[in-house]
Amino acid sequence: MRKILRWRGGLLLLAAFLFVFASRMDHVQAHKEKHTPEQLKAFQDVFMEQVRIGDLLFHGDGDTEKKFDVNLSKTGMACAMCHPFASDTHPHEFPKFQEQIQEFATLRDMINWCIENPNEGERIDVNGPAMKALEAYHYWSNKGSVLDPGKH
Amino acid sequence: MIDLERERRETQRELNKPDERPDPSLKITRRTFLHRSLVAGAVTGAATYGWFPLINTLNLAFGAQAPFSFAWISDTHLYPKTVNTRFVEKATRAVKEVQAMKPAADFLMFGGDLAQLADPVELRLGNDILKEITIKKHFIPGEHDWYLDMGKTWVSLFGNSPWTFEHKGVQFIGLDTVSRAPDYWSATKMSPKERMGHMATLDGSVAGPWAGVGSDQLQWLSKTLSPLSKDKPIVIFSHNPLYEYYPPWNFWVRDWRQVHEILKPYANVTNIHGHTHQVLYNEIGTMRSIGMLATSWPWPYAPQGVPQLTKPMIRANPGDYFDGVGWAKLNVTAAPKVEHEYMMWRKDVYAEAQVDSGTGDNDNQILRPRVADQMWPYK
Ligand SMILES: [Fe+2]
Ligand SMILES: [Fe+2]
Repeated sequence: MRKILRWRGGLLLLAAFLFVFASRMDHVQAHKEKHTPEQLKAFQDVFMEQVRIGDLLFHGDGDTEKKFDVNLSKTGMACAMCHPFASDTHPHEFPKFQEQIQEFATLRDMINWCIENPNEGERIDVNGPAMKALEAYHYWSNKGSVLDPGKH
Repeated sequence: MIDLERERRETQRELNKPDERPDPSLKITRRTFLHRSLVAGAVTGAATYGWFPLINTLNLAFGAQAPFSFAWISDTHLYPKTVNTRFVEKATRAVKEVQAMKPAADFLMFGGDLAQLADPVELRLGNDILKEITIKKHFIPGEHDWYLDMGKTWVSLFGNSPWTFEHKGVQFIGLDTVSRAPDYWSATKMSPKERMGHMATLDGSVAGPWAGVGSDQLQWLSKTLSPLSKDKPIVIFSHNPLYEYYPPWNFWVRDWRQVHEILKPYANVTNIHGHTHQVLYNEIGTMRSIGMLATSWPWPYAPQGVPQLTKPMIRANPGDYFDGVGWAKLNVTAAPKVEHEYMMWRKDVYAEAQVDSGTGDNDNQILRPRVADQMWPYK
């Protein structure tokens, strides 16, 4: 009898644990429900707004620079003047050893190198909103290029 | 891009018919190097990469009456000195080198994009820099010279195009391929500055297919050519290439078919163009086309449409602003032939391996047009 009680107690404990665990999971995984088209559109809109901002920064839009308090160029040159359609930026080839920096570098490192060197601007926060938007624009522009990290 | 593909196939069909090539006596030499300082020997290397042919120097049978040379400068993209002096330095260097040519060139051809935003300050600065060259100068406009005041300052300083003249047996023609953009500014009441801003954005979508010769100028061209004999050596200067390379960046003229129709009967035509800021060579029908370097900065090769006959220039170092740029010297010798020489300010002009080539990225590079100028709020 005692044995059964102990067994039952164990079972209860396990049930309680499972209950707590499951409710936690429910909390963490917000998408247990099926996605609605509205949700997906909202996600895409967030992304495309970042692409748009990145595009404007990449093309030297002064108002956007002011808004994000960045100074990407002091020469009048914009990123797009050497990289129309974000060509020759090859975001899909990072991280890699970057010759100009003489270091193993990420795309964000290289973006800052271009800002500081050819553009003679001020480097931006590597995790800041302007950098995220620029990164979004680079990846979006090169969508479909095959991931090839490390390629020189 | 489906339209583009269709266009490209059509170009191929139209222009590269099996029985139609430039006069076979116009031989392209396989000389590998331009600069005397360089050592020969890369022919086999390039052959390994399957690039055909090695076009560093073009020797075209030409029939000039006496040897002479001319120089080309274009795409200086000058900003006011208060914004930057980098491009001023490079334009000045090219000008000094042209002026120092021995023997002196007979004339300088300036191929457009003297200014960045057609600001009269920029255009006058360019005029001042070019004053150091004392030989005769000829001008055609680029889009960066035009769309602030619709060419007013440009024309007052450098005169009208098109034009033509004969020099020692060669007929030279200068076209204006920039001033006939479809009106993209009136409907949205753009300011002149906004109009210029869109025009100055190579990969923008607002200014559309602005590069064209236009029906009036086509008529002029056809009339100008008609009294000439069919084997007359003809050199046509234009800012944009007279064929379809990459329309999204206006690396073309939209009416290239009509241009080709007019040029068809003439066996000895060379087109020399700016705008693309890179080493380019193409043959379309009976016409040869050579793309010139900018003094300001090199554009990357377009992701599609690089002519098969182009041996790509070496990848430029973004940390060195004298790299990938320069001017050009053309010697019309007694042989008679034209030798074309890229005066790029570095040791190597042509890439010998794909990894060093300006087209290297195109092995794995899918690109799409920008969006911000098509998304509300429009910029
Ligand atoms: Fe240009
Ligand atoms: Fe141009």
